Amino acid sequence: MKESVRIQQEDFSQDEEIRALQASSKRMGGIATFLGCARDFSEGREVSEISFDAYGSMALSELKKLRNDAIEKYSLLDARIVHRIGTVKGGDNIVFIAAGAEHRVAALEACRWMIDELKQRVPIWQKEITPQGEAWVTPHP
Amino acid sequence: MIKVLFFGPVAARIGSNQMMVAFRPGIRLQDVRDELAAQYPQAFEIVCFAAANGEHVRDMSLPLTDNSEVAFMAKFSGG
Repeated sequence: MKESVRIQQEDFSQDEEIRALQASSKRMGGIATFLGCARDFSEGREVSEISFDAYGSMALSELKKLRNDAIEKYSLLDARIVHRIGTVKGGDNIVFIAAGAEHRVAALEACRWMIDELKQRVPIWQKEITPQGEAWVTPHP
Repeated sequence: MIKVLFFGPVAARIGSNQMMVAFRPGIRLQDVRDELAAQYPQAFEIVCFAAANGEHVRDMSLPLTDNSEVAFMAKFSGG
């Protein structure tokens, strides 16, 4: 089985991640997921590709801490986080987060919390490549 | 020596992903930042976070040991 927290170049399968989460406990009554995708339009410009840079070892360690923190904070039964790096095109998957809990509220709240925290804590940067040139992304609130 | 890492927008402004700074007893994270910020002011104007040996550091007075790995980073934009 794949690790529950990963940073990888290749695409991931949401179905595979959800199956792995579900297999971890039969007490799971709710699974919430977040899928972040690459947009082909940003700040009024066409975006042809998005390229990611990461402080790989720290990013992985922060993602693992984030998963552990979420499991503790929301009493989750399990959680999974996968983030892609390298270059992606409009419509491609970027990040997948899944939270499994006994009940839906904890799963939904934990999923929202994890993506918000990921954006604050995890050293990954994205650069938009447009026909007019390249620009590093300024984070959105 | 202290290994200093740069990523994304900071690396782009510096034109390098990595450099070495001489270790001296008592050197603190703030000293490394000050030294490099004087050389690369445009890069350091977007630096918001620092890390030492792969951990976030908020207290810039952190003393560094020889062979430390530090990073000065812009706001993250993953996800």
